[in-house]
Amino acid sequence: MFTKILIANRGEIACRVIKTARKMGIKTVAVYSEADKDALHVDLADEAVCIGPAASKESYLVMDKIIAACKETGAQAVHPGYGFLSENATFSRRLEEEGIKFIGPKHYSVGKMGDKIESKKLALEAKVNTIPGYNEAIAGPDQAVEIAKGIGYPVMIKASAGGGGKGLRVAFNDKEAHEGFTSCVNEAKNAFNDDRVFIEKYVLEPRHIEIQVLGDSHGNYVYLNERDCSIQRRHQKVIEEAPSPFVDPAMRKAMGEQAVALARAVQYESAGTVEFVVGADKSFYFLEMNTRLQVEHPVTELITGLDLVEQMIRVAAGEKLPMTQADVQLNGWSMECRINAEDPFRGFLPSTGRLVKFQPPEEIPGQVRVDTGVYDGGEISMYYDSMIAKLIVHGATREQAIARMRDALNSFVIRGISSNIPFQAALMQHPRFHSGNFNTGFIAEEYPKGFDASMVPHDDPALLVSVAAFVYRSFTDRSASITGQLQGHERKVSDKWMVIRLKGDQKEQHPVIARPIAGGYHVEYKGEKYEILSNWQLGESLFRGTCNGEEFTLQVERHKTKYSLFHWGARADFMVMSARAAELLSLMPEKPAPDLSKFLMSPMPGLLREVAVKVGQDVKAGEKLAVIEAMKMENILKAEQDCKVKKISAAAGESLSVDQIIIEFE
Amino acid sequence: MHDIIRQLEKKREMARLGGGQKRIDSQHAKGKLTARERIELLLDPDSFEEWDLFKEHRCTDFGMDQAEKTPGDGVVVGYGTINGRLVFVFSQDFTVFGGSLSETHAEKICKVMDHAMKVGAPVIGINDSGGARIQEGVASLGGYADVFQRNVMASGVVPQISMIMGPCAGGAVYSPSMTDFIFMVKDSSYMFVTGPEVVKTVTHEDVTAEELGGAVTHTSKSGVADLAFENDVEALSMLRRFMNFLPANNREKPPVTPTEDPADRMDHSLDTLVPDNANKPYDMKELIIKVVDDNDFFEMQPDYAKNIIIGFGRMDGNPVGIVANQPLVLAGCLDIKSSIKAARFVRFCDAFNIPVVTFVDVPGFMPGTQQEYGGIIKHGAKLLYAYAECTVPKVTVITRKAYGGAYDVMSSKHLRGDVNLAWPSAEIAVMGPKGAVEIIFREEKNDPAKLAQREAEYKEKFANPFVAGARGFIDDVIMPHATRKRICRSLAMLRDKQLDNPWRKHGNIPL
Repeated sequence: MFTKILIANRGEIACRVIKTARKMGIKTVAVYSEADKDALHVDLADEAVCIGPAASKESYLVMDKIIAACKETGAQAVHPGYGFLSENATFSRRLEEEGIKFIGPKHYSVGKMGDKIESKKLALEAKVNTIPGYNEAIAGPDQAVEIAKGIGYPVMIKASAGGGGKGLRVAFNDKEAHEGFTSCVNEAKNAFNDDRVFIEKYVLEPRHIEIQVLGDSHGNYVYLNERDCSIQRRHQKVIEEAPSPFVDPAMRKAMGEQAVALARAVQYESAGTVEFVVGADKSFYFLEMNTRLQVEHPVTELITGLDLVEQMIRVAAGEKLPMTQADVQLNGWSMECRINAEDPFRGFLPSTGRLVKFQPPEEIPGQVRVDTGVYDGGEISMYYDSMIAKLIVHGATREQAIARMRDALNSFVIRGISSNIPFQAALMQHPRFHSGNFNTGFIAEEYPKGFDASMVPHDDPALLVSVAAFVYRSFTDRSASITGQLQGHERKVSDKWMVIRLKGDQKEQHPVIARPIAGGYHVEYKGEKYEILSNWQLGESLFRGTCNGEEFTLQVERHKTKYSLFHWGARADFMVMSARAAELLSLMPEKPAPDLSKFLMSPMPGLLREVAVKVGQDVKAGEKLAVIEAMKMENILKAEQDCKVKKISAAAGESLSVDQIIIEFE
Repeated sequence: MHDIIRQLEKKREMARLGGGQKRIDSQHAKGKLTARERIELLLDPDSFEEWDLFKEHRCTDFGMDQAEKTPGDGVVVGYGTINGRLVFVFSQDFTVFGGSLSETHAEKICKVMDHAMKVGAPVIGINDSGGARIQEGVASLGGYADVFQRNVMASGVVPQISMIMGPCAGGAVYSPSMTDFIFMVKDSSYMFVTGPEVVKTVTHEDVTAEELGGAVTHTSKSGVADLAFENDVEALSMLRRFMNFLPANNREKPPVTPTEDPADRMDHSLDTLVPDNANKPYDMKELIIKVVDDNDFFEMQPDYAKNIIIGFGRMDGNPVGIVANQPLVLAGCLDIKSSIKAARFVRFCDAFNIPVVTFVDVPGFMPGTQQEYGGIIKHGAKLLYAYAECTVPKVTVITRKAYGGAYDVMSSKHLRGDVNLAWPSAEIAVMGPKGAVEIIFREEKNDPAKLAQREAEYKEKFANPFVAGARGFIDDVIMPHATRKRICRSLAMLRDKQLDNPWRKHGNIPL
């Protein structure tokens, strides 16, 4: 067994690998870019080596630097994590040449499977179901259109070297095929330095189900059941679960055996994933094989009881798999939510900056697991992808897993940047998600116009009203305990309050009676009684308590006279005051929000790459105004209506903050 | 007897209606509450004791003797409690003669102010007045001056708070302007010496009342007012909260609010607050919010001279005044506006026994002709003077830069800072390494390599808290995560601090 390994990655996956290595008594070496100097993985590892500037191209993707780091530290093996160099055959070959073990498949397996065209040929030979498509190199957009027509629309155009949704286009007609091919080639060139793309049939209403396989250097293979990753947003996985609510044992066996056949065909030694697209009729086609550890591997770990990273390390060290197919377990249900630094209420634009507060839910072995690479007070930089944590739960049943996920999401505190937690919570309570009847189009179909707060109904408004009363009375009682009061004329706090729920311009009035009791308040609302007990402290974000004995967790923020509660993805704003004050409040005029349509404001923090218009220029709706780069993505800001540019307030190359004005219109 | 009681009740009822239902409705239509409704929201329920309900004006000119006399004469005065603590209040009634100030109206205000001084309790003035009662002529002007004189006498003796909830124009502005804090309501209040019509005639500027003297103008442009609120209800509710930070008078310590927030609460996220790059800003407010009790920071003047932060918080239940440079704005430098803003705040805290906690990250004074012509020398000196004269407990934490004269100004040891702490990231020096090296090694100007080396040397030597520590200018270097604990302990140690300045009539602060 190795005594020291290097992890050629960053973020949560680097931390996750370090944890297993430590458990196995193996020393760890982290590598980091200048931007990651204070990152968690650097802190967790036994040693750390700086490998260059922030841009991945100059650090995490530079093989020489990583090999040099191995030599410098005496690391005997490299775990590549996912992304970066994890599926780079050259990298694993070079390591091999240097006498360093690559904790992953052999370079020939990577090479064959990493090329989507070759992998499809191999799959055909191994008698794995494949979808119709064109596997040769394509000369140009015109040929691409011809090929697409031959296959029949819709078609998918995808970078050969791509993965995880990067460099992927869907075309429904000739024009889209033409454009899609061009942009796909460009993106592939930039992202992977490999401009080959392929075209294939696009299966409508497909589910994305993948089989985890494991092979060793002794010719043993097992499949570790499936993962359903159909909940995707723009081809990026959002929620993954294992097992799939769609797969029955016979289907599992058929898919598993094909996956193993494919792994065997490339002498696959390590953990790998065979992805299938699954039609509504339970037909399945091979999509691609990911020759690396997947982001969503923890769900498989939780249902099988295996540590996949440990298995990868053991296999790389030449050990035999400790189990046969018959030993593979499938216990209960596991689910993973990817927690991303993005703002679901602003079109999921990336959110960067300081994590003013980061308090993930408490980990409970066998129930709640948090894989993360960030920490309280850490920084989300714009150089890397937006996933900051994975929240993974396990339950005896799918329902229990969902319930645990909902609770865990409630207690995940993130401040300073926006996260997709409200969106994840909304998905977790969506009836269609509960039914298990969904496909990869689920999010696009259910949220065609994006996501906004009104899409998160709260099914227990009385709880929110009662907690608002609790919070307000806590503050009021605190103030009433101030020193220096006139003796005999001390403040007596009334029990009768008006809880006002703010819904846009609407102010719903909810009269309550809130009496202090030991450990909390007793709230009467609409004739019902709510006994709320909590040791919540004023000013804390996290509010844990019980309502009539039932546990709940929510989050509270106070801003001037407004209290915001966050629960199950919903946000509810309240004011609490006496009935008389509420009566007087209703006399106050509702002020219209300022008109911001005259401004183009930065929807996210990032770098202003380009301002595409000039002062005085007439711009048509839909025309490009500016380009902002954040989290490796270029975001094009377009005109929402016809307008004339009055003033340009920011210059290319400038770092922008959220809502910073870029252009003023007349 | 019954008749008299009935008569009393009738008189009261009439007086309480002020200018009558029609005018009350009109007041409501403008988005404003009436004088009495405001008092009702401001004070604890049923705590208001009203005086001079039956007071009437004595004017007989210009038909005033013919006009119906409204009891109370346009201002409601008395006392009551806010969270059980005594305050005196006057609230101008716009429904009676437009809230205009007559001789008798002024007498009522003076009466509560005199009582407030006698018993040592704050005065809260709710302003909603068209100005002087012109029919009364000089009697009305005299009334203003009587109030002004009392404002000055009360200054530094009892807290005076002005809530501007309607017009406040002409000479009337000078009463609020001499009080400690001014709060305004957006879109329904304004303050100016001369109104838009006069401005138009004299300077030909076209400006609305809101632009000229509205809440947003005075809280962001002029700095005359401290806070702007959305409406009367929010304003009064926040004023109640604000009063919890203030003592009743200058002989008392500020009130204590018990807290469950542990004095030794650590916050490890603070260890990464200051970025490695000295030119990268960070939000000082995060530090303040994480350090004070219950994360409850009551900021004053948040939209004016944002390069300095001032406001109130509590440590261990005891109110403190907080002054902090804000690296997010103009790198946190001191300029004319920020010096004046902070100086006035420090003097308020000093007058009312509120300890001052200062967080320092200051690269120096703002350079430029605008600043020099504007008198930065004199205005910057105000802050220096305020800190130097201040005798309340002073605890200072240097988080990053403390350069040059600005280091001295920001509650340094030399200005009788009681406890001066520094984070490991602190750099206490005459100026930043680059500038310093360019001056000291002027002759090596053309050799960038050498200069870079000198800069590194300088950084090594001075860009740390230890040089100042060696001289005792810094009492200790502390871990950022322990900031709350260290401040709480320092303040506890300083609770009975006694320090007096030499007797004099008054100092001569560079006004």
